[in-house]
Order: sequence, then C-alpha cells, then structure tokens
Amino acid sequence: MSPKSPAVGRWIAAVLVFAGLLAVMYNLVVDNMPKGEVTEVKDYTPWSAETLKIAETIPVMDGGRVKPLSTFAGFTMLGLHGARSMKVSDGENEYKLKPTAWLLDSVFRPHLAVHHPTFRIDNSSILEAVGITPRGRRDRYSYADLEEGREKLIERAKAYEQIPSDDRNPIQRQTVDLAYSIRSYEALLGYFGFARFGVVMRGSGEGGVSDKRVGLSAMMATAPQIRQQLQQSQKEGLPISPHIQDLLEQVLDAANFAKFGLFMVPPADTDEDVWMSAGNVIMSVMTGEANHPEVKIGDIDAMEAMIRVSENDDAAFRRELTAMRDRFVERAEERGEYRAVPMEAGYYRANWFLNALVMFLIGTLTALAMWSVGQNKTGRVLSWATWGFTGIGLTLCLIAMVQRSVIMLRPPVGNLYDTIIFIGTTGVLLSLVIESMSRRRFALGMAPIIGTLLIVLSRRYELGDAADHMNPLVAVLDSNFWLTTHVITITLGYSAGLLAAALSCGYLVLRTLGLDGGDRDLRRAISRAVYGTICLTLFLSLAGTVLGGIWANYSWGRFWGWDPKENGALMIVLWTLVILHARLGGYIKEWGLHFASVFTACIVAFSWWHVNFLGVGLHNYGFTAGKSAIWVFYGVMAGIFLFGLVGWVIDRMGAGTAKSQSEPMATGAIEA
Amino acid sequence: MSNAETVPPAKPPASLAARALAILSGFGLATINLLLLGVLTWLATLEQIDSGLYPTLNKYFHWRALIVIPEINGRIVPFPLPGGYWVCALLLLNLTLGGLMRMRKGRKQIGVLIAHFGILYMLVAGGVAHHFSQRGNMAVGEGEVSDVAEDYFEYVVEVAEIIDGEPHNIHVIGGDLISDLEGEKLRTFKLPEMPFDLQLTRYFLNGAPVSIHERAPSGGVPVVDGYYLVTKPDEINAEANTAAIHGRVALRDGGFSDPFIVAGASFHPYTYRHDDRIFTIDMRKRLWPMPFTVHLDKFTAAFHPGTSRPAKFASEIRRVEDGQETKVLIEMNEPMRYQGLTFFQASYGPPGAGPGQKMYSVFEIVENPADKWPEYSLYIVTFGLLVHFLTKLFSHLGRDSRKQRHVS
Repeated sequence: MSPKSPAVGRWIAAVLVFAGLLAVMYNLVVDNMPKGEVTEVKDYTPWSAETLKIAETIPVMDGGRVKPLSTFAGFTMLGLHGARSMKVSDGENEYKLKPTAWLLDSVFRPHLAVHHPTFRIDNSSILEAVGITPRGRRDRYSYADLEEGREKLIERAKAYEQIPSDDRNPIQRQTVDLAYSIRSYEALLGYFGFARFGVVMRGSGEGGVSDKRVGLSAMMATAPQIRQQLQQSQKEGLPISPHIQDLLEQVLDAANFAKFGLFMVPPADTDEDVWMSAGNVIMSVMTGEANHPEVKIGDIDAMEAMIRVSENDDAAFRRELTAMRDRFVERAEERGEYRAVPMEAGYYRANWFLNALVMFLIGTLTALAMWSVGQNKTGRVLSWATWGFTGIGLTLCLIAMVQRSVIMLRPPVGNLYDTIIFIGTTGVLLSLVIESMSRRRFALGMAPIIGTLLIVLSRRYELGDAADHMNPLVAVLDSNFWLTTHVITITLGYSAGLLAAALSCGYLVLRTLGLDGGDRDLRRAISRAVYGTICLTLFLSLAGTVLGGIWANYSWGRFWGWDPKENGALMIVLWTLVILHARLGGYIKEWGLHFASVFTACIVAFSWWHVNFLGVGLHNYGFTAGKSAIWVFYGVMAGIFLFGLVGWVIDRMGAGTAKSQSEPMATGAIEA
Repeated sequence: MSNAETVPPAKPPASLAARALAILSGFGLATINLLLLGVLTWLATLEQIDSGLYPTLNKYFHWRALIVIPEINGRIVPFPLPGGYWVCALLLLNLTLGGLMRMRKGRKQIGVLIAHFGILYMLVAGGVAHHFSQRGNMAVGEGEVSDVAEDYFEYVVEVAEIIDGEPHNIHVIGGDLISDLEGEKLRTFKLPEMPFDLQLTRYFLNGAPVSIHERAPSGGVPVVDGYYLVTKPDEINAEANTAAIHGRVALRDGGFSDPFIVAGASFHPYTYRHDDRIFTIDMRKRLWPMPFTVHLDKFTAAFHPGTSRPAKFASEIRRVEDGQETKVLIEMNEPMRYQGLTFFQASYGPPGAGPGQKMYSVFEIVENPADKWPEYSLYIVTFGLLVHFLTKLFSHLGRDSRKQRHVS
C-alpha cells in the first residue's frame, strides 16, 4: 500500500461509517415520523404555551405511582400513536402536537381529537377485515376513520382473546391490541362527558322550554336524600319512582364514562393509597362509600367549572385549570406524593437524551474527520471538538440519569431500559478514560459512536415497549442496596465487555483495510486497551455475578439458581477467563485477542438482551421489543469477525512472503 | 572452545509423571475447562426452555453425567461433551496444581494467587452446597401452625401403623433407594418394627394410576385392583412430577400379599391389615421436621396502588420452641435465619383472594452449611483481582511516564 493510501482509505472508511450511522438514524426517524399527509382538523386552534405548562404538572396516578400529566400523556401517545408528536393542520397552518396538547385535545375537545391521526396501524389487513378501506399497509388513522368498523373489530378481538396469547398470529395479536387501544382512547374522549352534559331533569321544562340540566356535583350533594328515598321505597315495598330511576341511570352512565382514563383525584384520607378517577369519585359519593364526601363533591365541581369555560374562553379555562390543578396538588403535597412531579415534567421537557444524541452525532462527525485527516494540526483541532461534543453529550446523559434516580428514589438501573442508557453513558465515560491514558485518539473516536448507537437503541426500545420505565419495581427487586451493588456492577461489566469488543472491531477494520498505515504503536496501544478492558470486564462481571448470587442467597435461599440471566453473567466471566488464560498460555496473540474480544460482544448481548426472550427464569421480562435487533447485532459481529479473518489470512500470507524474501533479517519482526 | 562446550546441555526428557503434572496444571487445560464450562452453561440455558430446569441440571451437571449430548429445540446436537460436574472437578484440580501450587510466587503474582484461592474456595462452597444442603417448603394458613417442611422433589414410601386413628412407628424408605427400581427390578426392604417387609418394583418418576374402566391397558402392563400405572411426560417444573410404584408386602413366613400401587397422585394411602393391626403404605414427598413450630398470625400482600404489581409480601409469624414464643416478620428480601435454617417468603395463596379471605403463606426453607462461603470467597477474589489489576495498571502507567521522560 502506498504511503498515501491509508489516508484515502481512512476517508472512504469514514464515509462508510457515517453512512452506516445515518442508516441507523433513518431507521429511528422513519418509525417516529408521522406517516402520510398532515391530517386536516377543521377549526383547530393550538393550546397556548401557558395552558400546556399548567397542564403538564397536573398529578395523576398511573402504573403504581404519581406522575405528571405530561408523562402519562407521553407514554399513552407512544402506545397508541407510536411517536411522541403528530402533525395536524387547520387548512392553513400546520401544528405539531406534543403529548400534553394531544391529551388536552382528547379530554377537553373530543370533537376535534377524533380527527387526530392517533392510531398507528402496522398491518392494514386488520382494517380490511372489518370493512375499513386502508390507505397503505402501514399508516396512522383517526378515531373517526376507525369508528365505522369499531363494533366488528371489538367483536373479532373478543373472539381472538379466547386463543392463548402465545398461539395468536400477528393479525390476531394486532386486532386485540387495536381493540384495547380504541377502548383506552374512548376512556379519554368521554372522560369529562359528565361535566359537559350533566344530568337532564326530565319534565322540568314547561311551555316549549327544554328540560333543565344540572351538574353531577349538584346531584352528588343530594345523594343522602336520594338514598333515603330509595331505602324508604324499599322498606315500604314500593317501586322506585321513575324520576329517581331515570336520574340514577344517567348518573351511572356519566360515572361509567369517567371510570378509567385519568386517575387524578388524590384521596382525602392519608391511609387510602389509590387515587380515583372522576367516575369513581361520583360513584363513591352516590353509594355513600366515600369518606369526606364534601371534598369529593368539591373535586367534581372544580372539574365542571373548568369544562364550562373550556370551549371558548382560553383565559378563563386556564384559570379554572389552574384552580383544579392547585386543589389536587395541595392534597398530593400533604400526602407527600408531589415531590418529584415538577422535576419529572422538566425532565421530559428538557429531552436530555435527544440533545445528547445530537451532541454525540456531531461528535461522531468530528471523530470521523479526525481519524481521516491523521496526526496534524487539523486533526488536533478535530480531536478537541470531539472531546467537547462528546463531553457535552456525556454530561447531558449524566444529568438525565441523576434526575431519573432522584425521581425514582432508587439507583439508576432497575429495568432493561435503564441498562441501555447506563451502558451507553458508562461506555462513553470508559472510552474517554482509556483515551486519557492512551492518547491515541482511537478510544476518543469510539466514544461518540458508542453514545449514538446506545441512545438510538434506547429510543427504539422505548418506542417498542411504550411503557413508563420509571414505574416502581416489583417487591423482590425493591432493594436499593442490591440494586446499587449487584445491578450496577454487572451492568458496568456489560459496558466494559461491549467497549472492549467495539475497540477490537475498530482494530480489525483498521488492520484489514491497512488504515493504520502499519503503525505498530497504535496497534499495541489498542491491544493494551482491549486487554485492560477485558480484565475490567472480568473483574466487574465476576464481582457482579457473585453479588447477585449473594443477593439470591439472601432473598431466596439459593446462591445459584441457573436462571438464564445468571448463566449469561457466568458465561461472560468464563469467556473473559478463557481469553486471559489463552493469552497467558500463548494460544492467542494480538489478532487472536481481538477476535476473542469481538466474540465477547455476542456473549454480552446474549446475557444482557437475548435471555429476556427465552421465556424462562426469574429475569424474564416477557417482552418482544428488540427481538429482531439481537440477530442483526449477531450478524454484524459475525461480519466483522469474518472480515477480520480475511485480514488475518492476508497478513499471514504477507508475513510468510516477507519471511521467505528476507529470511535472515526478518527474524523477530513479525507480530501476530 | 569446542562445540561441545558452547552448546547447552540437552534437557533430560521429562518423566511421564512430570509431563502429566505439566498438562494437569497448564494453561491449556485451564483454557479448555473454562471454555467447556461456558459452552455447557450456554447449552443448559437453552435446553431448560423445553426440558425444564431440574432435568436439564441433572443432565448437564450431575456427577453421574459423564457425557452430555445436547438437545436444542427438540433436536439432538451430535456433539458429545463431558459432564459439567467432572469439568468442574478437573478445573478444581488444575487450579490447585497450576494456580496455587506450581504458580510462581512473587510480588507480581500475589493478587492472582489470592484470586485463585478465592475461586477455589467458591468451587468448594458450590460442592458443599450441592452435596450437603437441603431445601423444602412449608405452607401454613393464617391462624394455623406447622412444624414440618416438604421436599420439592424427593418422593418416599412411608409405612406406618395406625393406632387410635393416628400413625405410629413411621418408617420412611428414601427416594434414593427406590428411584432406580425401573421395569422388573425389585428390592425388598426390611422393616424390623413391622410384622412384615416390603417389596417394591416398577418405579415411575412421573406416573398416575388409571382405572381399566377408563382406558384399557396395553398388553403386559400389571393391573392391580382394576388399576394400572401409566407414565406421564416429565413436567417442565420437576416439582410437579408425581412418582408412583408397585409393591407387595413380604410376610415373615415367606408369603406375599396381593400386589398394590402407591402413587403421589393418589389421595389415600394403601391400607394393609395384618391380624388385628392396621398399616398404611403411602407415597409422598419427603417430610422434613423442623426443630420449632411456626404459627402464621397474618399474611399481607400489598401491591403498588392501582396496579397488580407486587409491592410487598410479608408474613407475621410466631416461632415457638420449648414453650418460648418469638415474634418474627418474614418478607421479601428479609428472611428468618435461625438454627442453621433459613425461612424465605416464597409464595402465597389462594390466588386472586378477595378482601377478608383467609390467606396462606409458603416459605422456602434451606439448610446449607456453606451458606456464607460464596460471600467470603467474593471478598477474597475481589481483593486479589484488585491487587493484581492495580499493580498492572500502575506498572503500565509508570512505564508510559518513564517512556515519555526518556523521549523528552
């Protein structure tokens, strides 16, 4: 290879790597972008920023904890729509709706919200089957679009539910999911129906005047009298008066429509822990089961006041919305449940990980350019830029993780989503530590690439799972001591193992393509970094595995249960021990170390990710998001392995030729 | 100087014992052992999906398993591997010989030596737990008392004399003495306190009695009292298997009673009358008497508000021993450790119980003489590896800084 060829090759490689990253990003963006044309919603007016800000911090109970309305809206929208934003237009202007605005439309302006493209349909066959003409195989539809086939769809879903969930085909599964989605959305659309329509006092209008309507809160205030009258009728064996019967039916209907959707009413009693929906509040007062009925009547009254002005008067609506929020916030604060709500609303507003992704992407660009220009002044400037952007990205990730821990009151890793962002962040951090020790700009360039890939993965996983990962943990995991020691250590082990593999992938690509220009110092520096990182992987994985065993022994009475997750961790320990012993015994040298290190990534991926799909063991999360990604990952690693193998064969052949040409001088000059 | 003086003297050929020692203590054997253990662990992880955990562990890691033929997704992988127990044993030997005895003992090796010792200790702990620990479970209802646990897997045959409606002179024939009695193989068990002995044969790991009126037996299948035993496929959860066996009473005069069947799936024992005395012969999971009684006062299952996600399971118990009562709370992550026994909150019931319904709590009970050994070994290994890696890191950094000084 000529002296100039490594530089040209480096540029080609940089372009290829960048193209690969763009492909990964495109994959993410495509899934998040609204499909089809922007939906037109006649007379649509956007919510003011002030209104949205007030609404964001309304506390609601969901998933076993109290969270801001914006979080609830975000995950509900993600689950139904498959993205955290959608676009609508009023015919002239386009509006980008974020989760809180979408949710406000759904509960306060259902007549507009039914035209929003809320439902993501991945397979149009389920629509064709219920008589709806689809637009494309995969698109987004409004409630109004689906209303025509709703009954048929629900009927089919009921039939499919009789089939065990594991035996359902994709169409059956998606039909059931869509039916649930429609039901969930209807719970939001009809939530404030009780406040919008009230109760009709039949026969109260005279002389052509329509019958009077009264609010539910007024009805609730008369609940003791109604109950007394019912008891009296029962006692005397008389039928219930038709007037009362009609009123009660209307109340029951109103309460049923508001029974689900938003559990936003904090209990007035501190010993009650479940928050109530408006429908539950209404029924608890009407049946006489409610403690503090006067407080609950006030709650419903506050909601009715808000709905009365929701249509036309934005300022008045904001005032009433604030009053209702403050009423619930005050009670939540007394119960000690509002502590993290404003912070969490701020966390999602700040979008730390998205901003970090942007920084890592720019860092990746500067890193690729840095590698391409080589060791000159421009390269030095680009290395500072890479340090800068990667450092900012890392800081944003750290802020986000600290905020999550403060909100959850637990260490940062408690579920699979947490592990992705933790591995991403610590992978970047470890790369920078290695760079500060080796100063070869190799680990530096890997840092933003690792950050980019892991954040993309976290967003893909969040999209597929559509679940709030800050919800409380199950009882057996609820131990901050063990989450801090075992879980953090083992996850750091994953991080170190993947980093070693990433460095080795880089090494194999560099050497096979000759991009290192024969720089042996660089090769040795990378090999030392990989060897050290494998030692760190061994240390962390061994300590983490045994700590897990001690936790299991402490909690369940057995040190080792052969759970797939435990086995996966043991496999990492055994494999890193194989590498170290094989290296010490001289069975593998520099190439061999890197091949083995690349294979480490497959073992880490099996332990971290793949075992969750096996359907057995205590760590089985029962999810399917990311199932295909694991095979793509194995495929990529196998590809790099084979690519490196070609490089190794060429290297050996070259070394053999050189040896035969200059036998006496070449002794000891070959490393392999 | 002659050639004979310049050429170093040839090493005498190593003896067979020295070569064997070199192999047994070498890096090559360590690498192969570790690799094999990794592969066996991976295959056992995959195989337990279809075959269940307990049978898979027995297949891969029992001392009887010399050779393992993997079976993934119901297909045999034609690649025989050595059994995990023996690979571990060889690793233990290799570690002792190479990693402790023959390893160079210098300042640089001290960390690795400590870590090797820790690993050795951990393997020994695993062996002790494997051979000497026992575990079972105890289910007790609210307001009820229990002083006995039940083994998860081991079925035994229990012979007792019934006096005044109560079992006396209970004689237990352990599972290890009957589980090999497959097919025609039979064994006679001497019962000196009984007026007869017992002959057992045709053991079923997972079997059930079936009436001939329900389904006709295949030819050659022994029928007893209108019933015969059918074998059921092994359960994925091995504790759900119900063993069964054929037997007959061997009288002292050399005669035999009619054959009978006892089965874990049967609700009642087999009753045998000898003169005026009544005996029962039953097949059941081995009972494990506790040195104290457990009174369950209250069981609490709490869930995160508005969800079915468990937040807390707790049993308020009274431990009664020699008339002395001690109140103890057992909950998730907070077991009761007492007299070498550990009580863990394992399960509860009935499933979907409504408010006010009487609950029961299930405790897992473990007796393990090596209970804390893995923890101690962790401290040793961690310390050893820390010493080693820090030594390496500092020597690496020192070398770099020396190189830089030299360059400047």
